[in-house]
Amino acid sequence: MGRSYIVEDDVEEYLSKLCSQPAGPVTGLLIGQSSVQRDFVVMATRTPQNDESAAAGTSEYKEWVSEHARQVSRMLPGGLSVLGVFIVSESDAKDTLTTLRQLVFSVENLISSEQLWTPAEDDVTDCVTLHINPKTRKTVCRTFDVKDPKSVAKPADWKYQSGVCSSWATVSCWLSIDLLVPLPDTSCLFQEELKVWAQQIERGVCVIDGKKLPEDSEIKTGQVKKNVRQTYTAQLLIAPEVQTVTDVVQRCGGCVSVRGAIHSRAFLHSNKPKAKLAEKRDIISTVATRVHMLLEEPSTQNEQNKGRKQTEQFCLPRRVFCPVKGSGSLSVCDYQFSDEGLSEMTDRFKEMLDMEAAEDDLDATQEMVAEVIESETTAVGLGPSMRPKTALRCPTHSWSPHCFTLEQTSPIISSCRERR
Amino acid sequence: MVLLDSESVVILRLRGPLELKCHADSTDVVLMQKAISRSFEDLRLQVKSESCVLAVCDSPVLIWPNKCVFEEITPDTPCEDVFQLIQTADQDPGGKRSTKKKNRKGLSASVINLSLMMEATKPGPLSAPVLARTIQTSHFLRATLPVDCAVRSGCSDTIKDGCGRLLEALTRQLFDMEKATLRHMRGATLLVPEPLHFLLPEPNGLVTVVFPRGVPDNELEAQRRELHGKFELPDDRPYFRRANAYHFPNEPYKDGYLRNPHVVLTHPALDNGKVFLVQGFYSYHHYMQDRVDDNGWGCAYRSLQTICSWFQQQGYVERCVPSHKEIQQALVDVGDKQTSFVGSRQWIGSIEVQAVLDHLLGVTSKILFVSQGSELASKGRELANHFLSEGTPIMIGGGVLAHTILGVAWSETTGEIRYLILDPHYTGAEDLQVITEKGWCGWKGPDFWDQTAYYNLCLPQRPRAI
Repeated sequence: MGRSYIVEDDVEEYLSKLCSQPAGPVTGLLIGQSSVQRDFVVMATRTPQNDESAAAGTSEYKEWVSEHARQVSRMLPGGLSVLGVFIVSESDAKDTLTTLRQLVFSVENLISSEQLWTPAEDDVTDCVTLHINPKTRKTVCRTFDVKDPKSVAKPADWKYQSGVCSSWATVSCWLSIDLLVPLPDTSCLFQEELKVWAQQIERGVCVIDGKKLPEDSEIKTGQVKKNVRQTYTAQLLIAPEVQTVTDVVQRCGGCVSVRGAIHSRAFLHSNKPKAKLAEKRDIISTVATRVHMLLEEPSTQNEQNKGRKQTEQFCLPRRVFCPVKGSGSLSVCDYQFSDEGLSEMTDRFKEMLDMEAAEDDLDATQEMVAEVIESETTAVGLGPSMRPKTALRCPTHSWSPHCFTLEQTSPIISSCRERR
Repeated sequence: MVLLDSESVVILRLRGPLELKCHADSTDVVLMQKAISRSFEDLRLQVKSESCVLAVCDSPVLIWPNKCVFEEITPDTPCEDVFQLIQTADQDPGGKRSTKKKNRKGLSASVINLSLMMEATKPGPLSAPVLARTIQTSHFLRATLPVDCAVRSGCSDTIKDGCGRLLEALTRQLFDMEKATLRHMRGATLLVPEPLHFLLPEPNGLVTVVFPRGVPDNELEAQRRELHGKFELPDDRPYFRRANAYHFPNEPYKDGYLRNPHVVLTHPALDNGKVFLVQGFYSYHHYMQDRVDDNGWGCAYRSLQTICSWFQQQGYVERCVPSHKEIQQALVDVGDKQTSFVGSRQWIGSIEVQAVLDHLLGVTSKILFVSQGSELASKGRELANHFLSEGTPIMIGGGVLAHTILGVAWSETTGEIRYLILDPHYTGAEDLQVITEKGWCGWKGPDFWDQTAYYNLCLPQRPRAI
């Protein structure tokens, strides 16, 4: 028996709109929540057009789709993820299967390479592919187990339903971060330190509405009423890992701190347990994403001023939420740098998620822009010239988290030096 | 030795690593010490903040002591009642959740373990994070402090009071850790401060002392001397060596040997009699342990092992309990036996025990000789004095069987006497009930001895040291 996908009616509407457009093959991403029994699809978004890129099937195109998926997945709060890929194409469903298979594997590989959290035993590893013939509107749904390189297509059930988005619970919290990491003379991966922090979050005790429930229990009791907005507050209790480090003092070339707070949010379908897992993963992702975003900002300057004490501060982008239309409580998010306006947010929601959002729709109240103390140091906003106009960058410039050290970041950060 | 009265006392024990991180701007030692002090002050503020959470282990109970928030219990819950919310380990995992019934007799029930956590979440909205990068050659200090506080509390004391006292102890411990860290700083090397609990004679009771991890006991004598002065303890026996650290009743001994099986026995009632017992802790060594089949020949070896365990557990020696082979080798080394003795199944007696104690532990022993077992009945005063001044287990051998004497009950007026015997001939499992009910550890009368055989008693003398 294959998996079943319960799909929001709005997604059907979106896909039919793509079918009625005269353009050639269109690919895109399917977004929702997976659970052991069945998956819920709440959004679909087409791959942004790319002037340079070749037709579907080429490796450039595959990278383009994956890069889109990577950026989209950063915009999804806890509980929502990229579930798979669709293609609207007149070719036979059988002929597109190889393309779709390559796309889901490539997408999944890139997204999971950024994940700092540890996958759970029972995480669903099946990804969905959907082929729609714009003429006949015939829809073929197949899944691939992306953790099995030899996996073959399995038929799956694709079923539209109204109100899929309406009975979700929201779990949220504000979490303060206080990371202090030495800057070694030679090499140390900031990524490693983030991982240690992520593990601490994963080990943490999550309390939902004041109750310490077992890790796998559902947050709700009794029948869920539709269209009743349900919100829960999470609290996270953490303790450092017990280590036995004998050498507790090390010489270093400086240090990096990340201090402040983040707003975390996770959405859970009524049949979906694991609220704590979703919330913890969102906490980890939103911090990791922002640190990565800050560090991957391009820079032209590459100056080092050795020997003198220097401190620079950078505001991490703040999280801005945008409600998914007609979906009740669901929202997506983006990250706003201090030099960006809300219009840049709405542009990105349009480009990445094909969403029409007005600036008034955005919720930028959950996180405030940090105030940087000017006495000791100088806050640095990244100048507009340094940010690309379009959010989706060419995949060849994309940043690989595994080869990244703070030493390598110095060109970025030292571009804005202390003015004294 | 004052033992905890499990009937009326609950120990609240709070553990949890706390992370000490600081970036010392300068390589100057004084400035570095200041930075360390600042970091400790930060930690003290953290534990006084509303973020501080105490989680009762294996239970849903969470306590925010500085906000007075108690989940699953009320602030006025007596400490004793918290046990009802603690799940015991022997329940099948994933099975039905039953709660442990209050067990007043069980020693394991008298400790409530709590872990120290920090709430990372806060009421919002708050400011988004700032990344700051400082470039300067400097020192980065990072240590995981193994916080471990224990306070005694009456069963009917409220959990709120208990937690309040735990937090006081925690703040005090952070001060002690700071002091220990700075005291044992050598250049740019730091030693992690490690808290240890010691159960001192009343009125001191359970106290916690911070020692630098990795520094051997013999280098800490000056600090121990200060402690002896502070707690007004005699200067002739160790109280603060690591081996003296208090063993919490709910923690199993990892080596598997039973400790002090005699404590569950009822003392014999003698007219005007007094009881004189071994002081401190020993482990029960007997036949067939350690996968050595010494049934029929190893009793004196086992008795010697019990004595060695006493010296180790009181902190006099760090040497672990010697095996049969090591004992035999020691006797060869001192010239008492031929090389072929090693690996043999030959008996040893009190004189050999004395020689081994001297050679392996540096402990001298007195030998008490009686030509007939019947004479032992008149040795009450000598034995009583031994337990008063030395307090070590006595090995008795001679005619046939070796035994360990752990104490005497003796009446000065009537001369009546009973001997507390630990029998090394036991071959069964470490089952306290069998051992005490079947008399493998028990009180015996003068008729226990072979009235016509001769006996040698080896009375180990404890070194005078702290």
